[in-house]
Amino acid sequence: MSTSKEADLALAARCRDGDLGAFEELYKAHAARLYSLAFRMLGNAADAEDLLQEIFLSAHRKLESFRGEAALGTWLYRLAMNQILDYVRSRAGRAGQLTDGLEDAGTLPDAGGHRLADRAIDRIDLERALAELPDGCRAAFLLHDVEGLEHKEIGQVLGIAEGTSKSQVHKARLKLRRLLTRNVAELSERSDGL
Amino acid sequence: MACERHLERIQELVDGTLGAIRRSELEQHLAQCEDCRALKADLERIRDAAASLPQMRPPDGAWLQIAARLRQEGRIQETAEPPSRDRWSYGWLAIAAALLLAASASLLVLFRSAGPAPAPASAAASAPAGDQSVEAAQNAVDAAQQQFEKAIADLEKVARANTNALDPTTSAVIDKNLGIIDRAIAENRAAVKAEPGSVAARETLFEALRQKVSLLQDTVALINEMRKGDNAAAARLVNKS
Repeated sequence: MSTSKEADLALAARCRDGDLGAFEELYKAHAARLYSLAFRMLGNAADAEDLLQEIFLSAHRKLESFRGEAALGTWLYRLAMNQILDYVRSRAGRAGQLTDGLEDAGTLPDAGGHRLADRAIDRIDLERALAELPDGCRAAFLLHDVEGLEHKEIGQVLGIAEGTSKSQVHKARLKLRRLLTRNVAELSERSDGL
Repeated sequence: MACERHLERIQELVDGTLGAIRRSELEQHLAQCEDCRALKADLERIRDAAASLPQMRPPDGAWLQIAARLRQEGRIQETAEPPSRDRWSYGWLAIAAALLLAASASLLVLFRSAGPAPAPASAAASAPAGDQSVEAAQNAVDAAQQQFEKAIADLEKVARANTNALDPTTSAVIDKNLGIIDRAIAENRAAVKAEPGSVAARETLFEALRQKVSLLQDTVALINEMRKGDNAAAARLVNKS
Protein backbone atom coordinates (compact mmCIF):
# COMPACT_ATOMS: atom_id res chain seq x y z
CA MET A 1 0.00 0.00 0.00
CA SER A 2 1.46 3.34 -1.00
CA THR A 3 1.74 6.20 1.47
CA SER A 4 0.22 9.55 0.77
CA LYS A 5 3.76 10.90 0.25
CA GLU A 6 4.44 8.25 -2.37
CA ALA A 7 1.09 8.96 -4.00
CA ASP A 8 1.87 12.71 -4.04
CA LEU A 9 5.30 12.09 -5.56
CA ALA A 10 3.85 9.74 -8.18
CA LEU A 11 1.14 12.23 -9.14
CA ALA A 12 3.69 15.07 -9.32
CA ALA A 13 5.94 12.91 -11.55
CA ARG A 14 3.06 12.16 -13.94
CA CYS A 15 2.23 15.87 -14.11
CA ARG A 16 5.89 16.71 -14.83
CA ASP A 17 5.85 14.16 -17.65
CA GLY A 18 3.09 16.13 -19.34
CA ASP A 19 0.18 13.86 -18.38
CA LEU A 20 -2.80 16.20 -18.60
CA GLY A 21 -5.08 13.65 -16.93
CA ALA A 22 -2.81 13.63 -13.87
CA PHE A 23 -2.82 17.40 -13.68
CA GLU A 24 -6.59 17.44 -13.99
CA GLU A 25 -6.68 15.01 -11.06
CA LEU A 26 -4.61 17.49 -9.04
CA TYR A 27 -6.86 20.34 -10.17
CA LYS A 28 -10.05 18.52 -9.22
CA ALA A 29 -8.69 17.66 -5.78
CA HIS A 30 -7.72 21.22 -4.87
CA ALA A 31 -9.35 23.76 -7.20
CA ALA A 32 -12.51 24.38 -5.16
CA ARG A 33 -10.57 25.01 -1.94
CA LEU A 34 -8.06 27.29 -3.64
CA TYR A 35 -10.77 29.15 -5.54
CA SER A 36 -12.74 29.68 -2.31
CA LEU A 37 -9.59 30.93 -0.60
CA ALA A 38 -8.80 33.32 -3.49
CA PHE A 39 -12.41 34.54 -3.64
CA ARG A 40 -12.49 35.28 0.08
CA MET A 41 -9.09 36.97 0.03
CA LEU A 42 -9.72 39.06 -3.10
CA GLY A 43 -13.43 39.73 -2.67
CA ASN A 44 -14.59 39.07 -6.22
CA ALA A 45 -15.11 36.17 -8.61
CA ALA A 46 -13.32 37.56 -11.67
CA ASP A 47 -10.00 38.14 -9.87
CA ALA A 48 -10.33 34.80 -8.06
CA GLU A 49 -10.76 32.96 -11.36
CA ASP A 50 -7.80 34.74 -12.96
CA LEU A 51 -5.65 33.94 -9.97
CA LEU A 52 -6.77 30.32 -9.83
CA GLN A 53 -5.52 29.87 -13.38
CA GLU A 54 -2.21 31.55 -12.58
CA ILE A 55 -1.81 29.38 -9.46
CA PHE A 56 -2.21 26.13 -11.39
CA LEU A 57 -0.06 27.28 -14.32
CA SER A 58 2.62 28.30 -11.86
CA ALA A 59 2.23 24.98 -10.02
CA HIS A 60 2.78 23.07 -13.26
CA ARG A 61 5.96 25.01 -13.94
CA LYS A 62 7.24 24.55 -10.38
CA LEU A 63 6.42 20.89 -9.89
CA GLU A 64 10.09 20.17 -10.65
CA SER A 65 10.86 21.58 -7.21
CA PHE A 66 8.34 19.40 -5.35
CA ARG A 67 10.27 16.90 -3.24
CA GLY A 68 7.50 15.67 -0.97
CA GLU A 69 8.77 17.38 2.20
CA ALA A 70 5.21 18.65 2.72
CA ALA A 71 1.98 17.18 1.37
CA LEU A 72 1.19 18.20 -2.19
CA GLY A 73 -1.89 20.03 -0.91
CA THR A 74 0.18 22.06 1.57
CA TRP A 75 2.74 22.80 -1.17
CA LEU A 76 -0.08 24.06 -3.39
CA TYR A 77 -1.56 26.15 -0.56
CA ARG A 78 1.83 27.78 0.01
CA LEU A 79 2.24 28.57 -3.66
CA ALA A 80 -1.35 29.82 -3.89
CA MET A 81 -1.15 31.98 -0.79
CA ASN A 82 2.11 33.57 -1.98
CA GLN A 83 0.41 34.56 -5.21
CA ILE A 84 -2.74 35.73 -3.46
CA LEU A 85 -0.83 37.87 -0.97
CA ASP A 86 1.39 39.30 -3.73
CA TYR A 87 -1.75 40.24 -5.61
CA VAL A 88 -3.41 41.74 -2.55
CA ARG A 89 -0.29 43.76 -1.72
CA SER A 90 0.14 45.04 -5.26
CA ARG A 91 -3.53 46.01 -5.38
CA ALA A 92 -3.24 47.75 -2.01
CA GLY A 93 -0.08 49.46 -3.24
CA ARG A 94 -1.84 50.71 -6.37
CA ALA A 95 -4.72 52.00 -4.26
CA GLY A 96 -2.35 53.56 -1.72
CA GLN A 97 -3.81 51.48 1.05
CA LEU A 98 -1.98 50.01 3.99
CA THR A 99 -2.61 46.49 5.17
CA ASP A 100 -1.36 44.85 8.31
CA GLY A 101 1.79 42.79 8.31
CA LEU A 102 1.62 39.15 9.28
CA GLU A 103 3.53 39.92 12.46
CA ASP A 104 1.26 42.79 13.50
CA ALA A 105 -0.32 41.98 16.83
CA GLY A 106 -2.84 44.82 16.64
CA THR A 107 -4.95 46.08 19.47
CA LEU A 108 -7.61 44.26 21.38
CA PRO A 109 -10.96 44.90 19.74
CA ASP A 110 -13.85 45.59 22.03
CA ALA A 111 -17.35 44.38 21.23
CA GLY A 112 -18.69 47.55 22.85
CA GLY A 113 -20.94 45.69 25.24
CA HIS A 114 -22.88 44.04 22.45
CA ARG A 115 -23.20 40.31 21.96
CA LEU A 116 -24.12 38.14 19.07
CA ALA A 117 -27.71 37.02 18.91
CA ASP A 118 -28.39 33.60 20.35
CA ARG A 119 -28.56 31.90 16.96
CA ALA A 120 -26.30 30.72 14.15
CA ILE A 121 -24.39 33.46 12.32
CA ASP A 122 -25.72 34.26 8.86
CA ARG A 123 -23.31 33.20 6.11
CA ILE A 124 -23.56 36.48 4.22
CA ASP A 125 -22.92 38.50 7.39
CA LEU A 126 -19.82 36.40 8.04
CA GLU A 127 -18.54 36.75 4.46
CA ARG A 128 -19.03 40.51 4.68
CA ALA A 129 -17.22 40.74 8.00
CA LEU A 130 -14.38 38.58 6.65
CA ALA A 131 -13.86 41.06 3.83
CA GLU A 132 -13.17 43.75 6.42
CA LEU A 133 -10.40 41.89 8.21
CA PRO A 134 -6.79 42.93 7.63
CA ASP A 135 -5.11 40.68 5.06
CA GLY A 136 -2.74 38.88 7.43
CA CYS A 137 -5.24 37.75 9.97
CA ARG A 138 -7.86 37.03 7.29
CA ALA A 139 -5.41 34.64 5.62
CA ALA A 140 -4.63 32.83 8.87
CA PHE A 141 -8.31 32.67 9.87
CA LEU A 142 -9.39 31.28 6.48
CA LEU A 143 -6.72 28.61 6.58
CA HIS A 144 -7.46 27.60 10.19
CA ASP A 145 -11.15 28.06 10.91
CA VAL A 146 -12.50 27.66 7.36
CA GLU A 147 -10.04 25.25 5.71
CA GLY A 148 -9.11 23.36 8.86
CA LEU A 149 -5.31 23.56 8.61
CA GLU A 150 -3.22 23.19 11.77
CA HIS A 151 -1.16 26.18 12.96
CA LYS A 152 2.03 24.33 12.04
CA GLU A 153 0.82 23.93 8.44
CA ILE A 154 -0.33 27.56 8.33
CA GLY A 155 3.14 28.55 9.51
CA GLN A 156 4.58 26.66 6.50
CA VAL A 157 2.05 28.14 4.10
CA LEU A 158 2.39 31.76 5.23
CA GLY A 159 6.05 31.62 6.23
CA ILE A 160 5.36 32.66 9.83
CA ALA A 161 5.91 31.10 13.25
CA GLU A 162 3.30 28.68 14.58
CA GLY A 163 2.62 31.05 17.49
CA THR A 164 2.08 33.96 15.11
CA SER A 165 -0.49 31.93 13.21
CA LYS A 166 -2.30 31.23 16.46
CA SER A 167 -2.33 34.88 17.51
CA GLN A 168 -3.50 35.99 14.05
CA VAL A 169 -6.43 33.55 14.17
CA HIS A 170 -7.37 34.68 17.68
CA LYS A 171 -7.12 38.32 16.64
CA ALA A 172 -9.31 37.61 13.60
CA ARG A 173 -12.02 35.99 15.73
CA LEU A 174 -12.13 38.98 18.09
CA LYS A 175 -12.32 41.42 15.18
CA LEU A 176 -15.06 39.35 13.59
CA ARG A 177 -16.97 39.43 16.84
CA ARG A 178 -16.70 43.20 16.92
CA LEU A 179 -17.83 43.49 13.29
CA LEU A 180 -20.71 41.07 13.73
CA THR A 181 -21.87 42.63 16.99
CA ARG A 182 -21.78 46.01 15.25
CA ASN A 183 -24.50 44.64 12.97
CA VAL A 184 -26.48 43.58 16.02
CA ALA A 185 -26.04 47.05 17.50
CA GLU A 186 -27.16 48.75 14.28
CA LEU A 187 -30.25 46.58 14.07
CA SER A 188 -31.01 47.27 17.69
CA GLU A 189 -30.67 51.05 17.17
CA ARG A 190 -32.91 50.91 14.11
CA SER A 191 -35.60 48.98 15.92
CA ASP A 192 -35.37 51.43 18.86
CA GLY A 193 -35.92 54.28 16.44
CA LEU A 194 -39.15 52.80 15.07
CA MET B 1 -16.13 43.43 28.68
CA ALA B 2 -14.41 40.07 29.03
CA CYS B 3 -11.45 39.78 31.41
CA GLU B 4 -8.28 40.40 29.39
CA ARG B 5 -6.22 37.93 31.41
CA HIS B 6 -8.56 35.09 30.43
CA LEU B 7 -8.77 35.91 26.71
CA GLU B 8 -6.01 33.58 25.58
CA ARG B 9 -7.41 30.67 27.58
CA ILE B 10 -10.92 31.23 26.25
CA GLN B 11 -9.54 31.10 22.71
CA GLU B 12 -7.67 27.88 23.52
CA LEU B 13 -10.83 26.43 25.03
CA VAL B 14 -12.68 27.25 21.80
CA ASP B 15 -9.81 25.65 19.84
CA GLY B 16 -9.99 22.55 22.04
CA THR B 17 -6.30 22.85 22.92
CA LEU B 18 -6.58 23.86 26.58
CA GLY B 19 -5.13 21.35 29.03
CA ALA B 20 -7.34 19.72 31.66
CA ILE B 21 -6.10 21.67 34.69
CA ARG B 22 -6.26 25.09 33.04
CA ARG B 23 -9.61 24.17 31.55
CA SER B 24 -10.99 23.36 34.97
CA GLU B 25 -9.70 26.68 36.35
CA LEU B 26 -11.23 28.57 33.43
CA GLU B 27 -14.57 26.83 33.79
CA GLN B 28 -14.71 27.96 37.42
CA HIS B 29 -14.15 31.53 36.26
CA LEU B 30 -16.72 31.21 33.48
CA ALA B 31 -19.32 30.07 35.98
CA GLN B 32 -18.93 33.45 37.72
CA CYS B 33 -18.22 35.84 34.84
CA GLU B 34 -21.05 36.60 32.44
CA ASP B 35 -18.92 38.66 30.02
CA CYS B 36 -16.36 35.87 29.59
CA ARG B 37 -19.17 33.33 29.11
CA ALA B 38 -20.64 35.55 26.39
CA LEU B 39 -17.26 35.89 24.72
CA LYS B 40 -16.78 32.12 24.72
CA ALA B 41 -20.25 31.56 23.23
CA ASP B 42 -19.67 34.18 20.52
CA LEU B 43 -16.26 32.80 19.56
CA GLU B 44 -17.74 29.30 19.32
CA ARG B 45 -20.47 30.62 17.01
CA ILE B 46 -17.88 32.31 14.82
CA ARG B 47 -15.75 29.14 14.72
CA ASP B 48 -18.77 27.00 13.82
CA ALA B 49 -20.04 29.43 11.17
CA ALA B 50 -16.58 29.58 9.58
CA ALA B 51 -16.27 25.79 9.50
CA SER B 52 -19.61 25.52 7.74
CA LEU B 53 -18.89 28.11 5.03
CA PRO B 54 -19.44 26.34 1.72
CA GLN B 55 -16.67 25.73 -0.77
CA MET B 56 -17.17 27.70 -3.95
CA ARG B 57 -17.07 25.91 -7.26
CA PRO B 58 -14.65 27.42 -9.75
CA PRO B 59 -16.26 28.47 -13.04
CA ASP B 60 -16.51 25.57 -15.48
CA GLY B 61 -14.26 27.26 -18.02
CA ALA B 62 -11.32 27.65 -15.62
CA TRP B 63 -9.86 24.18 -16.12
CA LEU B 64 -10.33 24.33 -19.88
CA GLN B 65 -8.39 27.57 -20.05
CA ILE B 66 -5.60 26.14 -17.90
CA ALA B 67 -5.40 23.08 -20.14
CA ALA B 68 -5.38 25.27 -23.25
CA ARG B 69 -2.54 27.39 -21.84
CA LEU B 70 -0.51 24.29 -20.96
CA ARG B 71 -0.97 23.01 -24.52
CA GLN B 72 0.06 26.36 -25.95
CA GLU B 73 3.19 26.31 -23.81
CA GLY B 74 3.98 22.80 -25.05
CA ARG B 75 3.89 21.37 -21.54
CA ILE B 76 1.51 18.53 -22.35
CA GLN B 77 2.70 15.22 -23.75
CA GLU B 78 0.12 14.26 -26.37
CA THR B 79 -0.31 10.52 -26.75
CA ALA B 80 0.17 9.08 -30.26
CA GLU B 81 -3.34 7.65 -30.63
CA PRO B 82 -5.62 9.17 -28.05
CA PRO B 83 -9.13 7.83 -27.67
CA SER B 84 -10.76 9.87 -30.39
CA ARG B 85 -14.05 10.50 -28.59
CA ASP B 86 -12.41 11.94 -25.49
CA ARG B 87 -9.95 13.96 -27.45
CA TRP B 88 -12.47 15.56 -29.76
CA SER B 89 -14.92 16.17 -26.93
CA TYR B 90 -12.18 17.87 -25.04
CA GLY B 91 -11.27 19.94 -28.08
CA TRP B 92 -14.79 21.13 -28.53
CA LEU B 93 -15.12 21.99 -24.89
CA ALA B 94 -11.96 24.06 -25.20
CA ILE B 95 -13.57 25.88 -28.12
CA ALA B 96 -16.70 26.32 -26.00
CA ALA B 97 -14.57 27.89 -23.29
CA ALA B 98 -13.03 30.26 -25.82
CA LEU B 99 -16.50 31.17 -27.10
CA LEU B 100 -17.62 31.68 -23.54
CA LEU B 101 -14.79 34.13 -22.94
CA ALA B 102 -15.59 36.09 -26.07
CA ALA B 103 -19.33 36.19 -25.39
CA SER B 104 -19.07 37.10 -21.74
CA ALA B 105 -16.28 39.66 -22.08
CA SER B 106 -18.74 42.52 -22.33
CA LEU B 107 -20.62 41.27 -19.29
CA LEU B 108 -17.42 41.05 -17.32
CA VAL B 109 -16.48 44.60 -18.27
CA LEU B 110 -19.90 45.79 -17.26
CA PHE B 111 -19.73 43.84 -14.03
CA ARG B 112 -16.31 45.15 -13.12
CA SER B 113 -17.06 48.74 -14.00
CA ALA B 114 -20.57 48.85 -12.63
CA GLY B 115 -19.91 47.35 -9.23
CA PRO B 116 -18.13 49.14 -6.41
CA ALA B 117 -14.48 48.25 -5.77
CA PRO B 118 -14.38 44.96 -3.85
CA ALA B 119 -11.71 45.75 -1.26
CA PRO B 120 -13.50 48.52 0.63
CA ALA B 121 -16.60 46.37 0.80
CA SER B 122 -17.49 47.82 4.15
CA ALA B 123 -18.35 51.17 2.67
CA ALA B 124 -21.18 49.87 0.56
CA ALA B 125 -22.08 47.13 2.96
CA SER B 126 -22.43 49.35 5.97
CA ALA B 127 -24.25 52.21 4.30
CA PRO B 128 -27.71 52.76 5.71
CA ALA B 129 -30.75 51.82 3.70
CA GLY B 130 -31.80 54.54 1.28
CA ASP B 131 -28.26 55.89 1.05
CA GLN B 132 -27.18 56.97 -2.45
CA SER B 133 -24.31 54.45 -2.57
CA VAL B 134 -26.74 51.59 -1.87
CA GLU B 135 -29.05 52.90 -4.56
CA ALA B 136 -26.17 53.13 -7.03
CA ALA B 137 -25.06 49.61 -6.14
CA GLN B 138 -28.60 48.35 -6.62
CA ASN B 139 -28.78 50.00 -10.04
CA ALA B 140 -25.47 48.38 -11.01
CA VAL B 141 -26.75 45.00 -9.85
CA ASP B 142 -29.94 45.44 -11.88
CA ALA B 143 -28.02 46.45 -15.02
CA ALA B 144 -25.53 43.58 -14.78
CA GLN B 145 -28.32 41.13 -13.99
CA GLN B 146 -30.23 42.21 -17.09
CA GLN B 147 -27.15 41.61 -19.24
CA PHE B 148 -26.66 38.14 -17.76
CA GLU B 149 -30.33 37.32 -18.18
CA LYS B 150 -30.33 38.39 -21.82
CA ALA B 151 -27.30 36.18 -22.54
CA ILE B 152 -28.96 33.29 -20.67
CA ALA B 153 -32.25 33.73 -22.58
CA ASP B 154 -30.44 33.74 -25.95
CA LEU B 155 -28.45 30.64 -25.07
CA GLU B 156 -31.49 28.82 -23.69
CA LYS B 157 -33.33 29.53 -26.94
CA VAL B 158 -30.55 27.92 -28.99
CA ALA B 159 -30.17 24.99 -26.60
CA ARG B 160 -33.91 24.24 -26.43
CA ALA B 161 -34.30 24.34 -30.19
CA ASN B 162 -31.59 21.71 -30.58
CA THR B 163 -31.94 19.42 -27.57
CA ASN B 164 -32.80 16.48 -29.84
CA ALA B 165 -29.13 16.48 -30.87
CA LEU B 166 -28.21 15.27 -27.36
CA ASP B 167 -28.81 11.81 -25.98
CA PRO B 168 -31.45 11.66 -23.20
CA THR B 169 -28.90 10.88 -20.44
CA THR B 170 -26.71 13.88 -21.28
CA SER B 171 -29.79 16.06 -21.60
CA ALA B 172 -31.05 14.92 -18.18
CA VAL B 173 -27.68 15.66 -16.54
CA ILE B 174 -27.62 19.14 -18.05
CA ASP B 175 -31.23 19.79 -16.93
CA LYS B 176 -30.39 18.63 -13.43
CA ASN B 177 -27.37 20.94 -13.23
CA LEU B 178 -29.34 23.86 -14.63
CA GLY B 179 -31.98 23.21 -11.96
CA ILE B 180 -29.34 23.36 -9.22
CA ILE B 181 -27.96 26.62 -10.60
CA ASP B 182 -31.47 28.07 -10.93
CA ARG B 183 -32.15 27.33 -7.29
CA ALA B 184 -28.87 29.01 -6.32
CA ILE B 185 -29.78 32.05 -8.44
CA ALA B 186 -33.21 32.31 -6.80
CA GLU B 187 -31.69 32.02 -3.33
CA ASN B 188 -29.03 34.61 -4.08
CA ARG B 189 -31.54 37.00 -5.64
CA ALA B 190 -33.51 36.87 -2.41
CA ALA B 191 -30.32 37.57 -0.45
CA VAL B 192 -29.48 40.59 -2.64
CA LYS B 193 -33.03 41.87 -2.29
CA ALA B 194 -32.84 41.54 1.48
CA GLU B 195 -29.43 43.23 1.60
CA PRO B 196 -28.92 45.46 -1.45
CA GLY B 197 -25.64 46.81 -0.06
CA SER B 198 -24.01 43.44 0.52
CA VAL B 199 -21.00 42.91 -1.75
CA ALA B 200 -20.83 39.22 -0.81
CA ALA B 201 -24.47 38.67 -1.78
CA ARG B 202 -23.95 40.39 -5.14
CA GLU B 203 -20.77 38.45 -5.88
CA THR B 204 -22.45 35.15 -5.09
CA LEU B 205 -25.42 36.01 -7.32
CA PHE B 206 -23.12 36.99 -10.19
CA GLU B 207 -21.13 33.82 -9.69
CA ALA B 208 -24.31 31.74 -10.03
CA LEU B 209 -25.31 33.67 -13.16
CA ARG B 210 -21.82 33.21 -14.63
CA GLN B 211 -22.06 29.48 -13.97
CA LYS B 212 -25.35 29.30 -15.81
CA VAL B 213 -23.91 31.17 -18.81
CA SER B 214 -20.92 28.84 -18.73
CA LEU B 215 -23.02 25.66 -18.62
CA LEU B 216 -25.26 26.86 -21.44
CA GLN B 217 -22.24 27.77 -23.57
CA ASP B 218 -20.82 24.30 -23.06
CA THR B 219 -24.20 22.79 -23.90
CA VAL B 220 -24.41 24.72 -27.18
CA ALA B 221 -20.87 23.69 -28.07
CA LEU B 222 -21.72 20.07 -27.32
CA ILE B 223 -24.81 20.28 -29.53
CA ASN B 224 -22.63 21.69 -32.34
CA GLU B 225 -20.25 18.78 -31.95
CA MET B 226 -23.04 16.23 -32.08
CA ARG B 227 -24.67 17.82 -35.12
CA LYS B 228 -21.55 18.43 -37.18
CA GLY B 229 -19.46 15.44 -36.18
CA ASP B 230 -16.55 17.05 -38.04
CA ASN B 231 -13.66 15.84 -35.90
CA ALA B 232 -10.93 16.91 -38.32
CA ALA B 233 -12.23 20.49 -38.39
CA ALA B 234 -12.41 20.46 -34.58
CA ALA B 235 -8.80 19.35 -34.36
CA ARG B 236 -7.70 22.09 -36.77
CA LEU B 237 -9.52 24.72 -34.75
CA VAL B 238 -8.10 23.50 -31.44
CA ASN B 239 -4.56 23.40 -32.80
CA LYS B 240 -4.98 26.83 -34.30
CA SER B 241 -6.21 28.39 -31.04
